[in-house]
Amino acid sequence: MEARFHDGRTTASRPVKVWVEDEVLVFHADGEQRWPLETVRVEMVDDRVRVARAGDDPARLSIALSDWRDLTEHAVRHHRAVRRRELWLVGALATSAAVIAGVVFVGIPAASGPLARATPPDLERKIGRNLGGQVSLAFPACKGVAGQAALHGLGQRLGKTSGTPFDIRVRAVHAPMVNAFALPGGTIMVTDQLIALAADPAELSAVIAHEAAHVEKRHVMQAVWRSFGFGVLLDAVVGGGTGAGQQAVLLLGSSTNLRYGRASEAEADAAGQDLLTEQGLSSQGMAPFFQRLVNTSESKNAGAVKELISDHPDSQRRAAVSRARAKPGATAFTPTEWVAIKATCKDGYDPLKRVRSLF
Amino acid sequence: MSDAMPAAAGGEGPVVLSQRGQLKSFAWLSLRNGLLNLITLTLYRFWGKTEVRRRLWATTYLNDEAFEYTGRGVELFVGFLLALVVIALPFLCLVFGAQFLGPLFTLVVILPFYFFLFFIVGLGRFTAFRYLATRSSWRGVRFNIRGSARSFGLAWLGYMLLSAITLGWFWPAAERRLSGRLWGGLSFGDRDFEFRIDEARREKIYGAYTVGWIFGIIGYVVFIVVITGAMAPQLKAGGSPTPTLAEMEVIYAAAFLLALAYSVVFSPFHAAILRSVVSGIGFGDVRFKLRVKWFDMAGLTLSNIFFLTITLGLLMPFVEARTRKFLIGRLETSGGADLNAIGQAQGLPPRFGEGIADAFGIATI
Ligand SMILES: [Zn+2]
Repeated sequence: MEARFHDGRTTASRPVKVWVEDEVLVFHADGEQRWPLETVRVEMVDDRVRVARAGDDPARLSIALSDWRDLTEHAVRHHRAVRRRELWLVGALATSAAVIAGVVFVGIPAASGPLARATPPDLERKIGRNLGGQVSLAFPACKGVAGQAALHGLGQRLGKTSGTPFDIRVRAVHAPMVNAFALPGGTIMVTDQLIALAADPAELSAVIAHEAAHVEKRHVMQAVWRSFGFGVLLDAVVGGGTGAGQQAVLLLGSSTNLRYGRASEAEADAAGQDLLTEQGLSSQGMAPFFQRLVNTSESKNAGAVKELISDHPDSQRRAAVSRARAKPGATAFTPTEWVAIKATCKDGYDPLKRVRSLF
Repeated sequence: MSDAMPAAAGGEGPVVLSQRGQLKSFAWLSLRNGLLNLITLTLYRFWGKTEVRRRLWATTYLNDEAFEYTGRGVELFVGFLLALVVIALPFLCLVFGAQFLGPLFTLVVILPFYFFLFFIVGLGRFTAFRYLATRSSWRGVRFNIRGSARSFGLAWLGYMLLSAITLGWFWPAAERRLSGRLWGGLSFGDRDFEFRIDEARREKIYGAYTVGWIFGIIGYVVFIVVITGAMAPQLKAGGSPTPTLAEMEVIYAAAFLLALAYSVVFSPFHAAILRSVVSGIGFGDVRFKLRVKWFDMAGLTLSNIFFLTITLGLLMPFVEARTRKFLIGRLETSGGADLNAIGQAQGLPPRFGEGIADAFGIATI
């Protein structure tokens, strides 16, 4: 058969005659060349094939596809070998992916609880201080002093009751959402919109108690570990890539993160109500507040920050659960305190101006 | 015995580059790679990319013979792992450490590290180009690239800083010089390419850049007005709930339109810089010209964005193939070369993949 030979030393193209002898490709170019079919690599290029010897030898033989087929059934066998190797590769990669997925989606969430409890409170305080600085930039504190003091007082009382090593500092902040969240180290932020939404002291104190329970149970640190695991491991797998597949994997990670977060929510609901009851305060505000959330707004996810609300159907269910657990008790804030709290964020803050200043 | 081929060495002849084969096959390849990426948490991507390149090279012809891509998926994979250990891990430790050591540490350590990252990006551009060159061959003879990755990285860093200081006005010159360094350093076997900056300068780039720069600023201002407009009602209302879904949609739509507008207003510049760089490249007596107008470029970019958007990026290989077909179809050559007498260069190709570049999502070519 006719073929073209490129010897890998120059770009010269030499016509050669090729035949097969005992499963060996034979042709003459600078003496007799013998390429065992078992070892050659074949690449299809349009209507020709490019044959290479095993290894890094740059020499190539170019033969018309039809001639190659006539010459040997090897083309078919080679194709099968390539297929098999590819299947092995995909199988090995899929297995690795399954192992990684197991670690990331099951192993790390399972380990995050023990890890959080084993984290020294000092370390958590340090993380909290750093994170707090960044969050305060985005969500500035409200300026009403009396209201802040009343909120702070409730946090201190709840902290004492729970016996947490952290100093619970409640702060009202300006933010474009209805939310409350606990930072590592005991800081709890309640947004102006949430304060506006709460109908009475029982509702607001229930929200704060829920967050205090997050601090007590060290859920915040747990979420930090979990996000760290998801972020680091999954980012390592996808290589910080921006492709659609890579983004999909990251999205899967954050949704799993959220799902595990819900278990802590339920725990914090119950523990928060218990904290109020131990203080002799009413825990009847939680259910109506959840119900109000179902009726009105939605929440946003903010990374390692623990949030109050995950989604609407969940709020509905949580309202029912906390209604069953609710016990009557004293009011958390005096009427004067309540008026001050309601006024604490009415300090002339202009969010539009702030948004503009960001650009 | 011999048919169309001139048997041995025989003087200079014309040099013709062409892209053959069907784009459809790349659509199928896109689908296949997407599926395999899905079941391997995207770990297959190194092998997928290699297969795309192998087919792209095998459909690009120099005269009667297709190019060959000899890179392997495992090389890219190892390069990626290397980048993880050498760059991502220290970076992570720094960022994590900064959480405990306060803002001063952040300034003192993180900021220089960001500069270092720019250097690494430049370095990665060079090593990626070198990787592609050394894995490309024609009739068994390999390409290579001269010059040092480190000096390219430093040049990149310096040019980036200059561009930032000049509000972007140095960038066109920088891009031309950087591309010139890459293409001018290329060699095919024992013959060197050259880059002639005087030839490149004949194709003007600053007029086109001015268009992009001015319209770019206008587009950005419009974008800001639109999103603040969308957010204004609920921000003014104070007590009312979070940005609604509709408002978020307005913001995303505005961002998407901004990206589209950018690709249009910068297409004159993209076309001009390509024309300029290509006309600077020489190989022996062979010179190149790229016949690409700004509206061709805008059409290509917009249609590429369309294909990628409706398939969430799945059609990337298809888009790469049609872009290559677009460019090679508009590439003209003049002057001749003796393509039978080029010898293989000595020396071994680098061992690692372009992981460093890959880790930062950079694609050359
Ligand atoms: Zn919560």
